[in-house]
Amino acid sequence: MSPARRQRSGRAQTAADGARGPTALPLRPAVALLRGLQGGLGRGLGPLEALAGAALGLPREARAGLEGALRRLEGDFSEDEWGFDEGFADAVSPLLEMMYDRWWRVEALGVPNVPAHGRALLVANHAGVLPWDAAMIAVAVMREHPLPRNVRFLALSWAFDLPWLSTAVRKLGGAAASPYNAIRLLEQDQLVAVFPEGARGIGKDWSERYRLQRFGRGGFVEIALRTGAPIVPVAVVGSEEIYPKLADVRPLAKLVGAPYFPITPTFPLLGPLGAVPLPSRWRIEFCEPIETASLGSEAADDRRLVLELAERVRETIQERLLTGVIERGSAFVGRRGPFRDARRSDRLR
Amino acid sequence: MPGRRVLVTGVSSYLGTQVARGLAADPSIEYVAGLDDRPPRSRLDGVEFIEADIRGGRLRELLPRSGVDTVIHNKIVRRPGPGMSPRAAHEVNVIGTLELVGACERSASVAAIIVRGSAGIYGAEPDAPQFFTEELSRLYPLRTAFQRDVGEIESLFGAFARRNREVVCTMLRYQPAIGPSLDTQITQFLSLPAVPTPLGFDPRLQLVHEHDAVAATLAAVRRPVRGAVNVAGPGTIGLTRLLRRAGRLALPVPAPLFDTVTAASRRLGLATVSPDLRRLLRYGRAVDTTRLTEEVGFTPRFSTPDAVEDWVRARGGRGLASAVGELLPGP
Repeated sequence: MSPARRQRSGRAQTAADGARGPTALPLRPAVALLRGLQGGLGRGLGPLEALAGAALGLPREARAGLEGALRRLEGDFSEDEWGFDEGFADAVSPLLEMMYDRWWRVEALGVPNVPAHGRALLVANHAGVLPWDAAMIAVAVMREHPLPRNVRFLALSWAFDLPWLSTAVRKLGGAAASPYNAIRLLEQDQLVAVFPEGARGIGKDWSERYRLQRFGRGGFVEIALRTGAPIVPVAVVGSEEIYPKLADVRPLAKLVGAPYFPITPTFPLLGPLGAVPLPSRWRIEFCEPIETASLGSEAADDRRLVLELAERVRETIQERLLTGVIERGSAFVGRRGPFRDARRSDRLR
Repeated sequence: MPGRRVLVTGVSSYLGTQVARGLAADPSIEYVAGLDDRPPRSRLDGVEFIEADIRGGRLRELLPRSGVDTVIHNKIVRRPGPGMSPRAAHEVNVIGTLELVGACERSASVAAIIVRGSAGIYGAEPDAPQFFTEELSRLYPLRTAFQRDVGEIESLFGAFARRNREVVCTMLRYQPAIGPSLDTQITQFLSLPAVPTPLGFDPRLQLVHEHDAVAATLAAVRRPVRGAVNVAGPGTIGLTRLLRRAGRLALPVPAPLFDTVTAASRRLGLATVSPDLRRLLRYGRAVDTTRLTEEVGFTPRFSTPDAVEDWVRARGGRGLASAVGELLPGP
């Protein structure tokens, strides 16, 4: 993690500070840069010299930012073998943190249940076409865990066939939902989030929210057993209200090659604005880890054990979801609306 | 102990020539023969050059008499060059391999066959494993003509290996090679004045440096293993990052129009973009190289990003941004 993101993830910092700090637009330095550039060009300098001269007048932080941007432009940034791009994750983290603090007012519980080191499999309920739930789980671990770490997640393969979304997902640490990817990530001692409901989760109707769908054939348990990774069930309350699906137009879905073509109150009525998720209130609960290493990797071939464990994880999440929905109260209305001051200290009680 | 006797097919390609040179320089190898239908571009000392078409029947009489114990099959056309029809390329790939397999069947002395195959057999798919291991070659249908050729080549050698248990068949699955001396589809494409890319896609690419491409084949000659082995520089590089490192201008084209634009660039004589490369530029592909390192005992010198850096350095390319960066004062 970069120093910038670690600093932002500091526990003592309140959301109100955060909003004034890194998210404020650097208007004054930008104007100064443009003035300097204009002056330089007016004196007959070449565009590059003028830019360099103008940059001299910038405050140190802005100069570092400009240099960082130029370094990215020349390809001087790092991606790991999965295409995870730390710099990109840093750049979008203010947006994700804004969604976390202001839009969804996320309350994270049990974050220390996430192992601080080594491999672990986070298993969560899934909803919504865009992987917002994965992003919010990642922010929660990054911000609220005593030892913040990056969360890798498996995304529906369909996301990798879409322009921009495919790039953003991979740069944020996503990989296609294939067991081979999960096993390799866990063998590299990563923290991996999976959503066993998969496309069935995305396609839930509004009336079915928080009713967990079938957990496939328990593939995630096999993966955990094979790699000896502990399973951490995660119950995400709130994500199932962000895109209330009222109906599904199958022929249109077939046309664009998507698993569903959802009709929500805002989509397709408002066009691309329909992709803006509703500001529901979220509660993410990380449950006690289920240890699997002692069962041995051969246990992955024991169908009964696999199905039993999968059912246990599913029941844990289902139970925490129902409790969570009650404890959260109203889905949208709360003391702290998205644009009101939200001090994290009240929320943690 | 007498030294080994090696035959290299497709010896006149750049990599074929380099492999033959490497073999000729190895004291444990007594005899090197090179087969191709055109003479090599530079002199090959210590290599007996046989000018013959691999599709003709000459191998069937030559090979059993030569006492060759190791065959390196490098005559696989990845992209039909100028003046070569796709049909001719297909014939060289499939009929040529068939002839070679037939010749090996008749020759009692052949103990090892090393094929410079292609990781193209895995395809490029949105939902693919991010790192293909060798046993995952049949996850997806073979979509392009070249993939089908490679599939056929692999099954011909597979069948041969099952019938002749005493012969070790190594199928090296190469990722595309890059390097200062290479003139391949990828290097030509990346050298276009503006490189068309599918808009909104930034695939992970994996390449092998030309030096490692040669060295991997030589390592497999020293220690042939049964079955398929992936060959690639470890790590991956995103297409955008690659182009920026190379100082190339990306020309994003909406994905549905991408075929039309690349077809136009072929008609203008700029560069050909095969269907395989088109899919690669959209979805990317990487392979797992554990088997290469652990069983063949070869560790590539260049990771994928290093191979790109080396290619960029040799071309002397430099982007606009680095020029600006140098002018900027330090923080």
